[in-house]
Amino acid sequence: MRAPDGPPVTSGDVLLSIDNVSLSFGGVKAISGVSFDIRKGEIRAIIGPNGAGKTSMLNIINGFYHPQQGIITFKGEARSKMRPHDAADGGIARTFQNVALFRGMSALDNIMAGRTLKMKRNMFWQMLRIGPALAEEVEHRHRVEEIIDFLKIQEIRRTPVSRLPYGLQKRVELGRALAMEPELLLLDEPMAGMNIEEKEDMSRFILDVNEHYGTTIALIEHDMGVVMDLSDRVVVLDHGIKIADGTPQEVKSNQAVIDAYLGVAH
Amino acid sequence: MFYRETGQFKTSYAADMQIFPIRQDRIALWVVLAIAFLGIPLLDQLQVWPFGGEYMLRAILIPFLILSLAAIGLNILTGYCGQLSLGSGAFMAIGAYSAYKFGTGVHIPLGLFNLSIPPLPVLPSILLGALMSAFVGILFGIPSLRIKGLYLAVATLAAQFFFDWVFIRVKWFTNYNSSGSVSAPDLNFFGYVVNTPIDRYLLCLVFVSIFALLAKNLVRGNIGRQWMATRDMDIAAELMGIRPLYAKLTAFAISSFIMGVAGALWAFVYLGAWEPLAFSIDRSFQILFMVIIGGLGSILGSFLGAAFILVLPIALDQVPHALGVPISVETVSHLVFIVTGTLICWLLIVEPRGFARLWLTGKEKLRLWPYPY
Ligand SMILES: Nc1ncnc2c1ncn2[C@@H]1O[C@H](COP(=O)(O)OP(=O)(O)OP(=O)(O)O)[C@@H](O)[C@H]1O
Ligand SMILES: [Mg+2]
Repeated sequence: MRAPDGPPVTSGDVLLSIDNVSLSFGGVKAISGVSFDIRKGEIRAIIGPNGAGKTSMLNIINGFYHPQQGIITFKGEARSKMRPHDAADGGIARTFQNVALFRGMSALDNIMAGRTLKMKRNMFWQMLRIGPALAEEVEHRHRVEEIIDFLKIQEIRRTPVSRLPYGLQKRVELGRALAMEPELLLLDEPMAGMNIEEKEDMSRFILDVNEHYGTTIALIEHDMGVVMDLSDRVVVLDHGIKIADGTPQEVKSNQAVIDAYLGVAH
Repeated sequence: MFYRETGQFKTSYAADMQIFPIRQDRIALWVVLAIAFLGIPLLDQLQVWPFGGEYMLRAILIPFLILSLAAIGLNILTGYCGQLSLGSGAFMAIGAYSAYKFGTGVHIPLGLFNLSIPPLPVLPSILLGALMSAFVGILFGIPSLRIKGLYLAVATLAAQFFFDWVFIRVKWFTNYNSSGSVSAPDLNFFGYVVNTPIDRYLLCLVFVSIFALLAKNLVRGNIGRQWMATRDMDIAAELMGIRPLYAKLTAFAISSFIMGVAGALWAFVYLGAWEPLAFSIDRSFQILFMVIIGGLGSILGSFLGAAFILVLPIALDQVPHALGVPISVETVSHLVFIVTGTLICWLLIVEPRGFARLWLTGKEKLRLWPYPY
């Protein structure tokens, strides 16, 4: 909880809004008529029991799933669906619940890959790797090294990511997303499977990214302590339906949320 | 102790981004290049063993260089971009026959209007031939957007059989030569005719060095990262703004261009006169084995794999003879199959990234030696 005494953070324009979105897979309704918004500069947590539809929600936001119904408005532009490429181009980056790094590449190359959209030199320049092409590569390497320093992963730059322990893989994955310099960063359980110490590090990084770079963050997390500490506002999903939305305090004391987590029958 | 980067501090990212950031590796590269460009011609001039006669150049070094180039081409597609192809032979053939057509003049009667290109010099012929190969590569790459792995391999296999058939049946490609065999035009480069084995060797060496460098630049640049990202996790790549269409088709184009150059060199410089059989499915498999054994996703590995596949039959032939063990030709060819097959199985299980990765692991050990950590 970031402003224990002050009023809840309500300032900031709406960066992304989800209006009455529904998604189903065959007969399974993953999301039913959910609406909420994410404001510029906030950390917005999305919580809920297993299978609530949290990951599906992120997949809709960055265009990997296309909802059957509803409107997504990102930076003022309304769409019925995003295309992954447009989402990336528009400044949405993400990490995955099950680490989705490029396993055959080094940590450095993984993070460099995050710069793809920002690199403009065409293939023929890259082939020659002289002049502007080399300058561009060096310039982006500088940016990536800043991220590597920030995440304190200097020692493992050259290591193929498949050989890294899980906690470091998650960190590299965050680095790869940061390399895109996103406006909206979607984090799907960035601390799952970590020990206390690693969780603290990761929380620190998330807060720093939010504060120093002003990046808006949507965070899925099961650890309620972490959610209470980090987030400005929380949306709660259960069985694809939004059951609560508000500050961490409000949500914590919400009866529907308590029931959902305790498994009261609907 | 001797192989260390200790004390070699990088003062800029440009220095850290060299092909071989460790000085010992750089020295090794220069030594290899010096041997290749100066040492071997000198030995040949002096007719010192093993260059007495032309066997070493004609039967080992020239095919080694050309097949390394083809392996680099396939490695870009299969090793870096993860698209399995069994059509290398076809793309080499397209390079070879197109270069042949450009070198001997292209005439396409189109009714009222005849398309006619006079015979071009060798160098533009080879490059245009490779361009044709790249073009066909893109066409056959389009299915890769929908199909993956084994299914894509079957599609490239279809390309292989289709072009085998085309170059046998469509007499236009062989200039209506009755035997179906064709001979390369003169290897005239800017007025200098390449003829002797050592000249042919140097010609191949120049081509291979240039294309290996260009390929290395590509794979360590932005496009190379896009290829590898597509190979390793296409969904995550797409969500980062990497377009699978662009990544895969550029890999097909570059890969078939390089294989086209290799095909043209194989026909013009190594064989001189050839038949469609020179680019059959056997060739495709030979190059695939080179890439698997040498190391998927490694330019160096392409050379190691080519060397191994070429030297193995020769070694299996010579070594028992030298030891006084009589061994028949059939036994040798069986042994080649057994050894290659076993090795591929072993590598696929133990070290899917081939000799190149074993080499890297070895270097890593050496760097830490004598302290294990
Ligand atoms: N690709 C898919 N095909 C079919 N069903 C799917 C697919 N993706 C998600 N679902 C279903 O949609 C529902 C919501 O899944 P989702 O992964 O979004 O949940 P979640 O809230 O992220 O859960 P968890 O906390 O376990 O990660 C589940 O019932 C799941 O089985
Ligand atoms: Mg999930």
